[in-house]
Amino acid sequence: MTSVPPTALNEATSIHPPTRTAEASWLRAWNWTEARLAALAERANPILVKETRQALKSRQFIITFMIVLLFCWIVSFVGIAIVGPQIYYAAAGPGMLAAYYTILIIPLTLVVPFTAFRSLAAEQEENTFDLLSITTLGSRQIVTGKLASALVQMVVYLSAVSPCIAFTFLLRGVDAITVGMLLAVAMLGSVGLSMMALLIGAAARVRTTQVVISVALVLLLAGAGVALWFLGIGIISDGSAMYRQAEFWLFAVVVMSLYVTTFGLLHAAAAAQVAFVSENRSTPLRRWMMAQQACLCGWMAGLVYVVLGSPGASSSGFMSGVVIITATLGSGYWFLMGAMMTGEWPHLSRRVQRSLPTNDAWRPFVSLMNPGPGAGYLFAVANLTMLLIVSLSAAVWANATGMAGGGGPSLEAAFYYAIFAWSYVVAFLGFGRLIINALRKWVYVPMTAAFLIHVILLLSAIGVPTVIQMTSRELRNSGYTLLQMPNPVWTLSELANRGVNSVQADVLVLILPTAALIALLLNLRSVATELMLQRIPVPVRIIEDEAELEAAAPRGPQSPWDLDDDPA
Amino acid sequence: MYMPRRPLIEVRELHRYFGPTKAVVDMSFEVYAGEVFGYIGPNGAGKTTSMRIISTLDEPTYGDALVDGFSVVDDPDRVRRRLGFMPDYFGTYQNMNVVEYLDFFARAYGLRSYERKRAIEYAMEFTLLEQLAEKPINGLSKGMKQRLALGRTMIHDPAVLILDEPAAGLDPRARIELREMIGRLAADGKSVLISSHILTELAEMCHRVGIIEQGQLLAVGTVEEISNQTETRSEVRLRVLGEPDGMMQYLRVRDDVSDIAFRNGQVILTHAGGPAEQAALLRQIIEANFQVVEFASKTKSLEDVFMHVTEGRVQ
Repeated sequence: MTSVPPTALNEATSIHPPTRTAEASWLRAWNWTEARLAALAERANPILVKETRQALKSRQFIITFMIVLLFCWIVSFVGIAIVGPQIYYAAAGPGMLAAYYTILIIPLTLVVPFTAFRSLAAEQEENTFDLLSITTLGSRQIVTGKLASALVQMVVYLSAVSPCIAFTFLLRGVDAITVGMLLAVAMLGSVGLSMMALLIGAAARVRTTQVVISVALVLLLAGAGVALWFLGIGIISDGSAMYRQAEFWLFAVVVMSLYVTTFGLLHAAAAAQVAFVSENRSTPLRRWMMAQQACLCGWMAGLVYVVLGSPGASSSGFMSGVVIITATLGSGYWFLMGAMMTGEWPHLSRRVQRSLPTNDAWRPFVSLMNPGPGAGYLFAVANLTMLLIVSLSAAVWANATGMAGGGGPSLEAAFYYAIFAWSYVVAFLGFGRLIINALRKWVYVPMTAAFLIHVILLLSAIGVPTVIQMTSRELRNSGYTLLQMPNPVWTLSELANRGVNSVQADVLVLILPTAALIALLLNLRSVATELMLQRIPVPVRIIEDEAELEAAAPRGPQSPWDLDDDPA
Repeated sequence: MYMPRRPLIEVRELHRYFGPTKAVVDMSFEVYAGEVFGYIGPNGAGKTTSMRIISTLDEPTYGDALVDGFSVVDDPDRVRRRLGFMPDYFGTYQNMNVVEYLDFFARAYGLRSYERKRAIEYAMEFTLLEQLAEKPINGLSKGMKQRLALGRTMIHDPAVLILDEPAAGLDPRARIELREMIGRLAADGKSVLISSHILTELAEMCHRVGIIEQGQLLAVGTVEEISNQTETRSEVRLRVLGEPDGMMQYLRVRDDVSDIAFRNGQVILTHAGGPAEQAALLRQIIEANFQVVEFASKTKSLEDVFMHVTEGRVQ
């Protein structure tokens, strides 16, 4: 493809302007389109350009594409033959659409994500990752480029199936919303799975483990493919009935918000895996975690709005239930995230220290977004605390206005539940972090090992008391006892199901928060050290370089009058 | 004429440990603009590790390296704009030809439009790859791949080039071409840090060398400087008219001469002293009425210097 510079186009039109034939205008439009496409390709991610070129020459891609095309034809011919004369009056569209969807979902959920995984893994195997790393491409650009090339492949596969999907309209029984929803599910599912595969590909640096990871990924993708197939079939069979219900769209919003924030989190995590060690890899992840927390708050608020807002709805114990669900989801989420964040390396790079906040008043708050295990611990605790305060406040407000009603879990139980869940997270993360800190004085503890320490600590707290009680003749049949105090699963489920008295909440409310506060206080010194770090000055060479770049940057017109001065 | 200007590479107290293994220990040196700096050492000496650190592919355990004043640890993005690294392996992409390969890296270095086109043309012209533009990479010979790798390394016109064993596996003609290319890059004012096992070639193309062993930089300087720093003894060959016995007898009683032998009509001896002491020795032999027709001091090769500095412990 040859690109025509815009100036050349302008000159051409100004020298020969008079006869505006249909052919000339067609040619101008073509040239204009070509120039714009060339400009677009110029701005495209380099990895996208490279991988598209490679894919077009790849035997694997061509064979897969031909197989998809072939199966579409076979399904079309065989399907029509089976339907026979009924095609003139029966609604054969849904059946055919389901068949085409089945053909489409295999490359989209299996081939494309696995190719994305292999694309990143092959960079390590073929020794090209080093070459890629030392270019000026950023880690996010690398991940986005890989993802974009997966997207191009999806579009190509979709283009093979799309004429067949359009054909199902002629067969009756299929509407545009169903098709749109079906394609959206397939595409979003494929993009999400590709993102996950890229994260795994970025994390799997050791070649010897790649075979095991590849097999596990194929199984995971196959499972996800089956789930998406069932979802698609459900949309084809019941779709038109579902769209008419407001709850469906509310649910779609919830799913989309979860999808977008999880996608962002996975993207940031994959970029962090390929980024240089001195880069700030934590702050983008923490932003996405906060976005997910905001979504959780939004979902709960939406749930309350829908249930309590509907006329004649029974709201007995509903708010307490909301608090318990929020506390369960929130504490689970922040324990997982906290287990990873507390495994971060404690020393901030000079690069990160240059961007630390300068405002003394804001530093403790803004610094929570900075890398470091202490900041990560406090970030998890602060977010969980905020979440529980918001949900408890909502419950108190609903109770005060009489909206919460009676029955179900009591508000008191919900309060205890939130406090206990908070205490468990703060205590387990806090004590886990102390163990990691102690170990780091002697050995190198990577993030994976730190995460495992937290998991082992939690499993021990669940398993040891349970085993003791189950093997004790006196305690075996006595239900919940205070021996299970360190066991969050038993304690919280007992509290939610049987109420406050079943777990001796008046005793636990003294012990669990105290343990959490002790863990928090023991960590506070090292946390404060991280939070109070001062910004270091930017080196003179960086300032000089910035000035050089600023001076070298091409300057566009600053005002409309500048354009008049331009001789072109 | 080589004129050192400013250091484009500054290695400061670089350390790199892999568990108990000390790959690089307290390494410091500088490479100036327009200078070719040879990196010599046996296998496993720490050459590649230190080159990877300078190229922002690895991080030091302690210390730092600056490229054009930017830290490889703190500002790898700025370093990468100024640095081209050619590792000792060729990273192959499937289903790509020469021009697509260069185009990808030009794009990856942020070159746009005509700037990219010019850079690709120049790289292909410089590395003599114009005729192979459409040839698939997998079909290239080792020498062609090395030239392509060099083209990729210089595609964004970096001020610093780090070449790890670029001549490995090349035939003599390809080596000569590579040597000429490196010379032209240095003449353009670029700093070139190059490692190689072929010491004769390094001696010809490098302005200075650094000898590294077991992670430590043992000596830095020109071959002559290192030779003078590390060893003052040199081999001297003499030819005299008539029988050499008298002169050999005369030499045997001197403290600064040892290992005297007569081979192929020449008296071969080891002299402890520099050029000034050798001149004095010649003057004294002549004053003792020996008719000297030839007096030659053997110049130490890079191999000699290397073997001496590393004490022959090549693995």
